[in-house]
Parts: sequence; structure tokens; C-alpha cells
Amino acid sequence: MSENIHQRALQLIAQARVEGMPETDAAWLRAHLETCDSCAAHARQTDRSLRSLRSAAIPLPDGLARRTQFRVRLRAQELREREPQRRALWFACGVSWIFGGVSAPYVWSLFQLLGARAGLPKFVWEIGFGLWWTIPALFVVAVLLMEKVRQGDEPAWMRQDS
Amino acid sequence: MPGPTLFFSTLMADEAKNIARGLQRRDPDLLDRLIEQYQYRLFRYLVYVTGNQERAEDFFQETWIRVLERGHQYDGKSKFEAWLFAIARHLVIDWQRSKKAQSLDALTDPEQGHPLQLVNESEPSPLHQVLSNETEETVHASLQKIPAIYREVLVLRFQEELQIDEMAGVLSIPVSTVKSRLYRGLDALRGALPGGAAS
Repeated sequence: MSENIHQRALQLIAQARVEGMPETDAAWLRAHLETCDSCAAHARQTDRSLRSLRSAAIPLPDGLARRTQFRVRLRAQELREREPQRRALWFACGVSWIFGGVSAPYVWSLFQLLGARAGLPKFVWEIGFGLWWTIPALFVVAVLLMEKVRQGDEPAWMRQDS
Repeated sequence: MPGPTLFFSTLMADEAKNIARGLQRRDPDLLDRLIEQYQYRLFRYLVYVTGNQERAEDFFQETWIRVLERGHQYDGKSKFEAWLFAIARHLVIDWQRSKKAQSLDALTDPEQGHPLQLVNESEPSPLHQVLSNETEETVHASLQKIPAIYREVLVLRFQEELQIDEMAGVLSIPVSTVKSRLYRGLDALRGALPGGAAS
């Protein structure tokens, strides 16, 4: 029997266990194993090894689940206690944005007036207005960054939508 | 006949959706139940990946803390256990990185020319710490000879019975890489286990 035939048989033996194979290949392999002792022994060895792997038991440490449940409940409580603070922070950010948007025309007029009275060039009080507008936004960005740092890096593998 | 298969896959999808909803709410009773239900499988996986029982216990607890904190990221579209193993695996990788500033794959992938064992060689045969009888000792000692990168895929495929595409998700590698590791792992397993080696 040619060496290639045995190679194919060994490959199919592994393939059958790893990912399955088409019925035509399975039929060919069955026929080959009936006539080839060494390939049949190889198939039996593979099955024995897998049986050993499947039957290998690892004893669970005493109370592992109970201790874990206790830790998880403690952590859940911590997170629940922190939740109102987080909501308050987001609420403050939201209010700040709304207030900034609503008051922008009035503040613009105020900056214009103060700039005219102080005799400042137009671009100076415009920069002042720009800063007044961007500082709350920068504050929000800082809050978001802090929040991200607090939660730790969120690896892509955890995000199922990625 | 597709009837029973369809019934069970619908049942599993419903279960995954229920878990996702419960995790969104951080439902403590659901978490208690999941910890009970998956304790053995997760612990076994961690023991095989870390090769050390104490470390596996630590990672076990950390994994469930992560499940609580990041539960809202599980959408119920895939098997819960695949997501759970991915969390556990990446905790181990993060630990490895902080310890040796290298990734698990870099440490264990023979194709990259690095040492194959994940465990510290100076420690006394760590898997032996969890052995309960002589037969299992033989099996575990033999498994210890298999590079961690292959041991891991063998455990996921033949003990946890994950599908190859699910394994690719857990391991964050292409399906083709999962298959090649499985083939090599199977070879290594046959050589390592008593009765498996060609005489």
C-alpha cells in the first residue's frame, strides 16, 4: 500500500475528531481501517488519548463557589453605592451643557459689551467667549477620561459588537 | 430531522438572552446560579491554562468580578461559556503581560520560537497540586508535557466541547489557526498520554 494512502488515513483520523469530515471520506477511511492494522491502531490510540483527556477530573477547592459568590455580592454592593454619584456627575454635565447652550447668545452680548467698554480688539473678546464655551466641554472630556481610567481599559475582546 | 435540534438551539438562545438580560441588571441571584453552574468547567479551564491551582482560584474569582462589572457587554448572541472563557483567558494574559511584559501567545507559541510552558519551570510540577488519584496523576502529568497553547485548545474542544468558531472567538485568533493548533495538539496528546503514544 502506498505511503500516501496511509498519510491520508492519518490525516482523516485527526480531521474526523477535530472538525468532522464528509461521508465519502468517512466511508473511505472505514474501508481503509478494516484492511490496515497500523492505521487502525493509530485511530484507537487517538481515541484512547481523547478518552483520557475527557475523563481527567480536577477536584474543586472547598467552598470556591461560596467564596466567589460572597466577593461578587460585595462588589455588586460597591457598584450600587457608587451609582448615584455617577448619575449625579452626568446630570451636572448635562445641565452644564444645556445652560451653556441657552445662555450663549446673552453671554456673547455680554462679552461684546465688556470688550467695547474695555476697548479690547474684537478677536480678544471673541477668544474669551470661545474659552467660556469650551471650558465646560473640556471639563466633560476630563470627566469621561477619568471615568474610563477608573473602569480600566476595556479590551476589544470583551465588546461583542466589535 | 431538524425538530429536536431546532428546539434545543432555540432553548439555548433563549437561555443566553436571559443571561444577557440578567447581567445587564447585575442580578445577584443569576450570578450566584451561574457561578454554581460553571464553577467546575471554568476552574478546570483555568487550572489547565495556568497550571496552578492557587492561581486558578484567584483567576476564578476575578473572572466572576469581571462578569459582574462588564456583564452589560454580553449580548446573548453567542454562548455564555465562550464569553466567560474569553474573560478568564484575557485575565490570565494580562497577568502574564504584567509579569513578563509578553503576551501569552508569545510565551507559548512554538511558532514564535519562545519557551513553550506557561508555568514557571522552577515550581514543582504545578498540576500535581490538584491531583486526586494515581490515574489522574498520570493523565495530568502527561498533559503537562503538552505545550500550554495546545493544551488550551484541546481542553476547549474536547472537554468543553466548544465549536471551532466559538474557540476562535475565545482565543481571538482565526479559525484556521484554531484548526492547526488542534491538529498539532492532538498529535502532542497522542504522544504524551500513556496508551496514546505509539509503541
